[in-house]
Amino acid sequence: EERRYRSASGAAIALQCRQHSASCRELAVRCPRLQLRSLSAVTSAVWLAAYGLYAVSENSMVLSAAIFIMLIGLIIYLHFVKVDQESLLVIGSLGIQVTSSYASGKESTTFIEMGQVKDVVINEAIHMQKVIYYLCILLQDPRDPQGVSEVVPLFQSSKPRLDCLIEVYKSCQEILERRKTAPQSS
Amino acid sequence: NSPAPLPERAIYGFALFLGSWFGFMLYLIWAYVPETWLFSLGLTYWPQKYWAVALPAYLLVAIGIGYVLLFGINMMSTAPLNSTHTVTDNYAKKQQQKTFQEEAIPALRDIPISEVNRMFFLPEK
Repeated sequence: EERRYRSASGAAIALQCRQHSASCRELAVRCPRLQLRSLSAVTSAVWLAAYGLYAVSENSMVLSAAIFIMLIGLIIYLHFVKVDQESLLVIGSLGIQVTSSYASGKESTTFIEMGQVKDVVINEAIHMQKVIYYLCILLQDPRDPQGVSEVVPLFQSSKPRLDCLIEVYKSCQEILERRKTAPQSS
Repeated sequence: NSPAPLPERAIYGFALFLGSWFGFMLYLIWAYVPETWLFSLGLTYWPQKYWAVALPAYLLVAIGIGYVLLFGINMMSTAPLNSTHTVTDNYAKKQQQKTFQEEAIPALRDIPISEVNRMFFLPEK
């Protein structure tokens, strides 16, 4: 049950939906891997620039510095920037868990309990000279039942387009509707 | 507050016109007439002629930077994706529920985003 979609910038992403039980669903969006051609393009650009500098300055430290910068920059990029998969686990009576797995294997997880969740909606906002649709969790304001205290945007790195977002939205709403009709058992 | 022509506006306009021509002529005289001639007339307290070229250059660069600055200010004032300003604002929070009248067009109000989403994205059964 993996479907192909496009991200806001045109990259190919894949949505996988798994239903663990009647009130528990996991939706995972997989981003494209680091492309070999972009990696080799950046590497050649940096090394050619370093070689040009070396030809001008006759200092061989420039070359070793360029190699170090490339290696350390690649490690930092894979560990902190390049997101491999973003997943949303909605458990009807418990809460919502958001996980981002990075290319280096690091996973960062956030859990929001169901009492704080007001709704999961598709919002539109201006982002870097574009208007994008993005899914977000609206957190309840404890003092005001109608108010929204915080907005938690989801799928920030993969930025799926509206068709993918509608699928995720419908899945989440099926589970969220049931928590209102089911009697509160706390 | 209409933009129609008025006698006072005509007078202001003419005064500004004369003033700007006078200022321009003064600037040209100061920039081109050699210092010795001005000293012989007794006018000694002028700014350095360096500024006759520097001020226009500064002005042009400032205008160019102004474009970039305005663009940057716009980008900085755009609400980030995680702010509540993308969803609601003070007017929407304080609006009152107007009474529903039969056969009348419903009053204008700010609809909460959950309702809008349900209407758009969940198919009507």
